[in-house]
Amino acid sequence: MKSLNKSLLVSLMSIIFIVALFAGNSPDNSRVENFKLKDYNGKEHQLTDFKNSKAIVIMFIATQCPVSNAYNERMAQIHKDFKNKGIFFIGINSNKQEDVGEIKEHAEENDFGFIILKDEKNIVADKFNASVTPEVYVLNQNLEVLYHGRIDDSRDVGKVKNHDLRNVLDEILSGKKITTTQTKAFGCTIKRVG
Amino acid sequence: MKKNVSLSFMVLFLLLINLTAAEPKQNDKISVEKIDKAKLSKLIKERKGKPLFLNLWATWCVPCREEFPSIVKLTTEYKDVDFIGISVDFPEEVESKIIPFLKSNEANFVSYVNGFEGDEELINLLDKNWNGALPATFIFDKNGKKISFLEGKKSYEEFKKEILKVKEK
Repeated sequence: MKSLNKSLLVSLMSIIFIVALFAGNSPDNSRVENFKLKDYNGKEHQLTDFKNSKAIVIMFIATQCPVSNAYNERMAQIHKDFKNKGIFFIGINSNKQEDVGEIKEHAEENDFGFIILKDEKNIVADKFNASVTPEVYVLNQNLEVLYHGRIDDSRDVGKVKNHDLRNVLDEILSGKKITTTQTKAFGCTIKRVG
Repeated sequence: MKKNVSLSFMVLFLLLINLTAAEPKQNDKISVEKIDKAKLSKLIKERKGKPLFLNLWATWCVPCREEFPSIVKLTTEYKDVDFIGISVDFPEEVESKIIPFLKSNEANFVSYVNGFEGDEELINLLDKNWNGALPATFIFDKNGKKISFLEGKKSYEEFKKEILKVKEK
């Protein structure tokens, strides 16, 4: 009876340990499914095309959201700073009311050097469970989510204290453990269909 | 006689001033204070027998602005519910953006501006599963227990349904 109790306790402890291990540091503990979307020029891209990058940054953005627009310059600059270091950037627009023409014009006006994919019917936003703009996901080569959240901690560039996305990318490039894997910030709701 | 007439006019004039001052338009008195974690936690906890309808919004948020008139209407219909709004605009935008918006909507309920340490602190206090998408509404029962979390723009009917639900508790 005693040994039964002991083995029951050991099993219970093991389960707790395994659960704790998997509930640990990774933001969503999830691997993202591959997807195919067209950019604003009609060219189709799939996520696995960029698997050779050191990391893939997915940014859910908008043309009309003031918060997303407050980050236009910052997004363009982060892209410029990291694109030659093996980091690939993808913008995704999942807002139903923002069409391809508007997205193209907005990207050109803001000098975005990264591709922007149109997520018609917000299928990819649903897969990621993305809810606001701007909202970023950083993936490794196995398409696992290393970081999910904000670009930095203030939509007012003058008030930024934590450059979250930049910090994550620096940590990836220097082979360090990612210290912050998930953050939150206020943003505009992604306008979904239906 | 002349002295009496001018005295009467003066009294009448003062009376008129007094009357106008005594009944200012409600929304002329709008003040928007900062709210922090301790203050909001206390507000949620100390219900004094009334449910709480808490709306998070921003002047830059189009769906927030669109749903706002429904909330204003509900505040006039449910006096037995506390309505509180928290704007996540910056505190320095109180005079330039928040108060003008509240006045244009004739909003007479208590309004605060986000004075938390960071957005995350406010988001996580209200709901760990909330990602910060605006607008968001939280309804607490008279014991301070969260009954509803409504993410995104809601209609008058949707709000009303949730209010009725919490009033039954």
